[in-house]
Parts: sequence; structure tokens; C-alpha cells
Amino acid sequence: MSKYLKINKLSYTYPDGHKALKEISFSIEKGESVAILGPNGAGKTTLILHLNGILGKLTGEIEVDGLEYSTENIAKIRKTVGVVFQDPDDQLFMPTVLEDVMFGPKNFGYSNEESEKNAIEALKMVGMDNFQDRAPHHLSFGQKRKVAIATVLASKPKLLVLDEPASNLDPASRRDLIKILMNLNISIILVTHDLPMALEICDRSLVLNEGMIKEDSLTKNILKNEELMKENRLELPYGFALHHLGEE
Amino acid sequence: MYSTTHSHHLSLHEESSLNVIKPEHKILSTFLIVISIAFSDVENLFQIFSHLIIVFWILFTSKIPSKTYFKRLAIDIPFIIFALFLPFISSENNDLVYTFFGIEVFRTGLIDMFSILFKVTLGVTMGIVLTAVTSNIELIYGLQKLKLPQIIIAIMSFTIRYIDVFIDEFKRVKISMRSRGYEEKGLKGLKPMAYASGAMLIRGYERGERVYLSMISRGFNGSIELKEREYNNSPSLIFLTIASIIVLILDKYS
Repeated sequence: MSKYLKINKLSYTYPDGHKALKEISFSIEKGESVAILGPNGAGKTTLILHLNGILGKLTGEIEVDGLEYSTENIAKIRKTVGVVFQDPDDQLFMPTVLEDVMFGPKNFGYSNEESEKNAIEALKMVGMDNFQDRAPHHLSFGQKRKVAIATVLASKPKLLVLDEPASNLDPASRRDLIKILMNLNISIILVTHDLPMALEICDRSLVLNEGMIKEDSLTKNILKNEELMKENRLELPYGFALHHLGEE
Repeated sequence: MYSTTHSHHLSLHEESSLNVIKPEHKILSTFLIVISIAFSDVENLFQIFSHLIIVFWILFTSKIPSKTYFKRLAIDIPFIIFALFLPFISSENNDLVYTFFGIEVFRTGLIDMFSILFKVTLGVTMGIVLTAVTSNIELIYGLQKLKLPQIIIAIMSFTIRYIDVFIDEFKRVKISMRSRGYEEKGLKGLKPMAYASGAMLIRGYERGERVYLSMISRGFNGSIELKEREYNNSPSLIFLTIASIIVLILDKYS
């Protein structure tokens, strides 16, 4: 299989001098879903912003679907990598749900008709096609999250990146979300503190801490490694039994 | 954590024939009729009655409940109070018409008072009708159709979009302050409120940054366009607008 996303020695320092990422290297194959786990302040969100070429100047290399990170390629990279941000209120800013979902495709050069068709398709994928004309700020948090995912799916990305998609969701909405993600036929990078969700969706996980990748292996192996988990401030929910990880 | 306040919008849900017509027509008509009223001569009975008929015809068509109309007309009150003083202070060549226990009433002042009452009331009425039969989004859409600059359209739509989010956030901040014993009374209450407002300003700024990042990641290139919407034409509104302007012009040349 071809390497779909290649990151080589990526480092980033914020203008205030804080080193958020230190020589990170990893790659993802087409169709693969990978979770990024780690404590608060580990650099997860910074990494996500880089995948979309948002933070600008970086050292190291990023290659997405054969496209190297450069000013000319940036629009293509942003179309290829769809990012769903942590707070759906940051992502939904248009007056109606449909207009919001159409925003991306229109920017990426789809015609109005195509954008609308893509948007309706995307809304169907997340089960929100009956909400097209509603104002996003009148939706429940779970509904906003689904629409936020649709806004990204409508541009037909090949790699979907989600930043803490399960935070603040009630258990039923979380379950809906997992179902939606498992039914998508694209590569996923899932940044989360929800370890059971990571285990369910992603076979492979990266542990990111202090701007470095501490571990890159099968999710179940990471969750079983108590020492590694403790070192990186990770913890399984109380009552989560090991047989979920394939060990009776 | 995320409660959703539905801010009170001015548009009413009752459907009138004005609700479904093109918002750009409504905006332009309101603007032209208000201008025409503003330039009309209050000593000319033909103009006064023509404008009264035009405005109240539109008000009647809008099906705004009278209670709602008068409530919203209250915005008129400061102007009315100001106007009521005019007969006693505004005069030209000492054109006294009446003296009441030593209080003098002047003709110029009376005309000025009537002029303000007439123009403000009719102008506000047109504004009340426009906002009652046009939702916020439609207003912005109408302005877009009238070729208002993109950046202003974007700022207006962001304001409408985030006002609820901002109010909710401020409510949460206030609740958390009260739960720690804060009381809003007196001068003492002002300082914490000022700090909270400062914090809100920074939060607003940060949210702006995050929204912008999320827009860039979806390929934002500087233009936001609202989707095409379908509305009816309104020959009667166009007729009334033209009538209002003709009433003004007729008089100027008669």
C-alpha cells in the first residue's frame, strides 16, 4: 500500500518560544485509521493544524497524497485533508446548516449545484439532511458536531482529521458518531482522550507527549502497557475490562 | 455546558404577503419611502395624507398585531419628548400664537414639533414593518443583492451568528461569579464586571481566531456568499414606493 501521509522530522515553535512539536516522523497508509493519544498540551492540536497547512512556517517535511507542503499546493492539501475542530461553534458560522456545509466545496471550486449536491450527500451521511434550513446555533451540541463533520465531508477529503470529536457528547450521540466514522470509507486521524473510542475505530495509535512521539503501535497494545499509559498521563475508564482488548 | 439561548428576533412568524417578497425590494422600498417622508413638507396636507395612506397601507398589509406595533413604536418616545418642548423654544421673528400663564407658544415650534412627530413616527413604522416581515438572514441576503461590500455582509452575518454564543458565554461567566458570592449591586459590583467584560473581549478575540482557522482549513479565500433564495416580486410595494416619491416630486414642482 502507498504511504498516504508522510511526515518527516516535523518541528514547530510558537512565536512565544514554546516548542510544541519536536522532530515528529510518522506515515499513514491509504484507508488506515490512526488515533493520536496524549495528555493536554502534548502538541496534538498543533500537529492537526499542520496537517492542513494552517500554521505556516515549519521545519521538516509533510507530504499528503503525493503533494509536498508548499504555497502552490496548499489549496489542494486543504481539500485533501479535512479537519473537524474541537468546538463546533468555531466551525459553523453561516446562517443556515446547508450554507455552512456548502462553504467548503464552493471555496474548493465546485459549482453551486455540485456544492449543494455534495452538501446534501454529506448531511445524509451524518443523518442531518432534515436540518438543511435550520440555523446552526439553534441545534443541540451533538447535532452541531454532526453538521461540523458534514461541513468537512462535503469537500470530499481523502483524509479526515478529528480533534476530540467525542468531548461533551452524551453516550448516545457518541455512539452515533462512532457509527458514522466507522461507515466512512476514508483514512481517519482521530485525536482523542476517549481511549475506548480510539480502540473501536483505530487499529493503530500514536502516543504524543511533550511534542514527541513516544509510541507508535497497535492501539490495544498501547492500552495494555500500563507503564507507558502512566508515563503519558493516559488512563482507561473505570470498569473498562481487559477482555475488551482481547485478553480474558 | 452549552445551553442555547434563542435571542429575541424582531421578525414575526405570522405570514403576510410581505414576508415572501424579495428582501432587496423591501429594503430599497423602505429606504426610498423613508427618504421621501423625510423630505416632505408638513404644511402640505396632500403630502401628509398621501404618506399616511401609503405607510398605513403597508402596515396593514404586514399584519403586525397592533399590540406588537405600539410596543415597538416606543422607540419613538425620546423623539416625542424632545419634540414636545419645541413649541416653547423654537421661534422665528417672535411668531407668538398663544400665551398661557406667561408661557409662550410659537408657530415655528409647533410646525417643527408636528414635523418631527410625523416623520419619526412614519419612519419608525416603516422600520418596524421591515424588521417584522424580514428575518435577519433575509436582511443580509437583501443587502448582498443590493451589492453591499462582501466584507460588510460577512461582518453582519458573523454578528448575528455569534451574538447568541457570546450572550450564552457571558451568562455562564455571570453564573459562575454569582455562585462564588458575587452581587451585582452598587459600585463594588462594577469592578469584577469590568474584569469579566475584559475576559469576554479576549475570549471573543480568540474565538474569532479559531473561526478564522476553521474557515481557512475549508479553503476560505476572502468571499462569503449566501445561497440563492427564492422570493416573490411585489408589484404593489413597487407601486407604493413610486407613489411615495411622486408625491414628493409633484409638490416640489407644483
